[in-house]
Amino acid sequence: MHVEWKLFADLAEHADDRTVAVEVASGATVGEALEELLSDRPALADRVRTDGGLAGDVSVLKNGADLGGDLDDELESGDELALLPPVSGG
Amino acid sequence: MHVLGILDGGAGEETVERCLDRLVSELGGRGRVGVVRYDATIADGLHMPETGPAAGSDVTYELGADGDWLASGTGLSIDEALDSLAPDCAYAVVVGVPSLAEPAVVVGDADAEGETIAAVSGPGELDPAAVADAIERHEPRETLESLVREVKGSPRAERAGAIATFTGRVRAKDAPDDARTEALEFEKYDGVADRRLHAIREELEAREGVYEVRLHHRTGVVRDGEDIVFVVVLAGHREEAFATVEDGINRLKSEVPLFKKEITVDDEFWVHDRP
Repeated sequence: MHVEWKLFADLAEHADDRTVAVEVASGATVGEALEELLSDRPALADRVRTDGGLAGDVSVLKNGADLGGDLDDELESGDELALLPPVSGG
Repeated sequence: MHVLGILDGGAGEETVERCLDRLVSELGGRGRVGVVRYDATIADGLHMPETGPAAGSDVTYELGADGDWLASGTGLSIDEALDSLAPDCAYAVVVGVPSLAEPAVVVGDADAEGETIAAVSGPGELDPAAVADAIERHEPRETLESLVREVKGSPRAERAGAIATFTGRVRAKDAPDDARTEALEFEKYDGVADRRLHAIREELEAREGVYEVRLHHRTGVVRDGEDIVFVVVLAGHREEAFATVEDGINRLKSEVPLFKKEITVDDEFWVHDRP
């Protein structure tokens, strides 16, 4: 099934793209969709991954809600995922 | 206020005017419309209204019956003209400005430099209702004054004795020896940012004695000295007005997915990378 990643600020620059559609197995988790996104984007992977998992200043949102770093959430077809650096409005 | 450009892409002035007439007539059915025309041949002393400006004056208003008026003057930019329309017009049409940030209708074959809503050869091809719908989906132009005017129109304004406002603007320098900031560029998570702004507004408006809250943040390039963000609170008394305006800007800065790139004379960087 298809899910779409949206990328922002320096994360979009590292990926050279603002939106990326990835194909994952039905019932896949957010973590698996993240692996799919990072698999052929080494610059983004370097920015987003640390030894223990996700870099501390990166948030993952599913359909606009912050997952609080929990990547085990199951996906449904058409879900919108987003990878965000710290917000800096104002 | 929703803004629309109209550009002559080679069809000629008369055809552009007929398209403008159709657009203004459609928008006029929806709200008050302002028109800003750019004409490089306008110069001090030329193209003056009936009696012309009073000798030596910089701005002249001529007022007639029922509040009808003519004006002429010096030193007004396109942005300033639009900002002055924003408090009491629902729509503005800008004629002949290719560098406008808002989308435009192009009359003729030439390509426009900005976003194009419709390219038509003449008024017959134009769908004014579709153009009006399209500009309503685009980010409106707001100013501090337009937001203040809006909250003053609240049905609960008779209980309100206070308006507190916050304006965030581009700071050129944070210390005397700082590299000068020329502009900030803001990126927004469309949809999610608007939902969070809406949630903050609703939660603040639910407070006792707080009647209206408006939060508006510009996106794209905002230059040195320009305004970035406004928070406006209409409240019963100053205490809740001050507290709410402060909480409003703090929550906007920490909760809304907006990302800022700083462009200085020396460098360009994402602000979250250099906290």
